[in-house]
Amino acid sequence: MQTFILKRIATAIPTLLGMSMLGFFMVALTPGDPVEMELRRLGVIFTPDQVTALRQEYGLDQPIFKRYLDWLIRLLHLDMGHSIASGRSVLEEFKTHLPLTLILASLSLSLSILLSSLFGITAALTRSQILGSFVQFFSIFLVSIPSFWLALLLLFIFALSLEWISLLGSGAWYDLVLPVLTLSLGSAATMGRLIRDRILAAMSEDYIRLAITKGLSPALILRRHILKSILPPLVTNWAVTFGALLGGSVIVENIFNLPGLGQMALQAVFERDFSILQAYLLFMGLIFFVSNFIADLLNYWLTPHFREQNSSQGATE
Amino acid sequence: MKLLSLRTTPLGLNTGIILIGCLLLIAFFGENLAPHDPNKMDLLRRLEGMSWTYPLGTDHLGRDVLSRLMSGTLLSLGAAVMTAVTILFIALPIGLISAMLGGWVNHLLMRITDIFLAFPMIIFSLVIIGFLGASLNSAIIGVALAWWPSLARLVHTLTTDALSKDFVLASRQCGISPIKLVIRHILPQILPPLFVVMSLEMASILLVLSSLSFLGIGAQPPEAEWGAMLNEARPFFTERPGLLLAPGLLISLAVMGFNLLGEGIRHKLDNRSPFRW
Repeated sequence: MQTFILKRIATAIPTLLGMSMLGFFMVALTPGDPVEMELRRLGVIFTPDQVTALRQEYGLDQPIFKRYLDWLIRLLHLDMGHSIASGRSVLEEFKTHLPLTLILASLSLSLSILLSSLFGITAALTRSQILGSFVQFFSIFLVSIPSFWLALLLLFIFALSLEWISLLGSGAWYDLVLPVLTLSLGSAATMGRLIRDRILAAMSEDYIRLAITKGLSPALILRRHILKSILPPLVTNWAVTFGALLGGSVIVENIFNLPGLGQMALQAVFERDFSILQAYLLFMGLIFFVSNFIADLLNYWLTPHFREQNSSQGATE
Repeated sequence: MKLLSLRTTPLGLNTGIILIGCLLLIAFFGENLAPHDPNKMDLLRRLEGMSWTYPLGTDHLGRDVLSRLMSGTLLSLGAAVMTAVTILFIALPIGLISAMLGGWVNHLLMRITDIFLAFPMIIFSLVIIGFLGASLNSAIIGVALAWWPSLARLVHTLTTDALSKDFVLASRQCGISPIKLVIRHILPQILPPLFVVMSLEMASILLVLSSLSFLGIGAQPPEAEWGAMLNEARPFFTERPGLLLAPGLLISLAVMGFNLLGEGIRHKLDNRSPFRW
C-alpha cells in the first residue's frame, strides 16, 4: 500500500512540475512589460531609469529559468502573489471562493451518482426496451443541451413560470438546488448509460451466466458479482466527472450568480488579472490530481490484483 | 449485443444527417434567405414578440432575431470547423512524429499531453483566453490548445496500429522514405477514423465555443454568433425569455445533429473494421 502511494505521488511530480511551468511561462511570455504596465495602470509618470531599477527590484532582469525557480520556491511557501483587481493576496481570494465551488461540485457529483445508478441499473436489469431507449434518448438529449441553456430553461420553468423561487436568489441553501440540478443532469445521463452498458456487458460473462443458472437471486448477483466488476471503472469515471463538474461550475456560477472559483476566474479574465489566472490553473490541476488519486486509492482497495497492474497509469485510461 | 437504440439505428444517423444538412444549407444561404437585414436596428420596435413580419420577434436593439440566427449560422459553425482544423494541425504532426520516432521523443510528447489532459478543457481554454484577451479568435486558439492532446493520443494509437501492418513493414524494408510512407500508407489508414472522431468532437467543440461566447469571452457583440446572441439577451430574460430560448434551441439541435451523425458513422464503421474509439 505504502509503495503504491509513494509510486503514485512520484509519477505525479513531473506532471505537477509541468503544470507549474505551463502556468509560469504563460505569464512570463505574455507580451508587454509587467513593470511598465503596472506603472501605467497606477498613472505614474516614469523614466526609463526608474523602470530598470524596478525591474531589478522585482528580479525581472534575471534569466528566465532563475525566475522560474524563485517563483516555484515562493509557490511552495504558498505565496502566489497579489490580485491586481482587489489588491488581496491570491491565497485569500481562493479561501473566499473555493468552498462554494467545492460544495457545488461535490453535491452535483453525489446527485449524478445517485440518479445514474438508479436509471442505469433499472434499465439494465429490467432489460426493458422502452426504458433502455429512454435512457439512451435522454443521454443524447442531455449531452447535447448546453448547460447554460439547461440552466436558463430551469430558471424559466421554476422562477418565471411557476414562481417557486426568486430569480435573484435568497441567500438560503435552496439557492443551490437549480445549479446542482443543472450540473448533475448532464453527467448523470452519460454515467447512467455507462452503468447500463457495463452491467449488460458483465451479464454476458460466463461466471454471471453460471450464477444465473445456479438460481441465485438477481439482487445477490448484482451485489456480489456485477458491482464488484464494474465499480473500479466507475470510480475512475467519477473522478474525471468531478473535474468536469469543476469546469462546468464556471458557467453555472455565472448564470446563478454564485461567488465561487469560476466567477473569480471569469472576472480575472476580464480584468486581465494574471496572478489569479496562474493560480487558478495550478489549483485546478492540483484538485484534479487529488481526485484522481483518491479514485486510484479506492480502486486499489476494491481490487487486490490492482497493485500488480497499476503502477503508473489509472486516471487517463 | 444487438440492442435497438436510438443512437445506433439508421433513424439516429438519418436524423443527424438531416439536421446537419439543414444547418449547412442555412449556413451557406442564410444571409440571402433572411427576411431582414440582421444588423439593421429599429429602436422603435425593441423586444417585440412573434409576428408575421418578425417570426421570432426582435431583440433589445430592434433587430430581427430570425435573420440574426440565420446569418449567424455560418459564423457559429465556421468557428467550430476552424477550431477542429486547428486541432488537427497540431495533433496530427505530433501524434505521427511520436509514434514513428518512438523512444524518448515519444516519451516526452506523451508526458506533455499528460499535463494538458490533467485539466478540464474549459478551464484551460478560459485561462488561455485570459492571457490573449477576449475575442472569438482567442476562443478558437484557447479551445484548440486545450483540445489537441486527446487527439494527438488518438493519432498516436492509430499510427502505431497502422505501422504494425504487414504491408507497411514490407515497404519499410524496401527503404521507402518516411514522408512517402506517411502519405501513401499511414494517412489513408488513419484519416477515415480520425474524421469520424472529429465529427463527434464537433459537437463538443460547438458546445464549448458557444459556452465561452455566452460567458462573454468568446465572440463579441454585435457578431451574430449564437452564444453571443444569448449573452446579449441575458438582461432581458424576464421580459422576453424567448430571446434566450431560440438561439439555445438552435445550438442544442446543431450539437445533437453532430452527436447523432458521429455516433451513426462510428457504428457503421465499427461493423466493418476493428477500429474502436
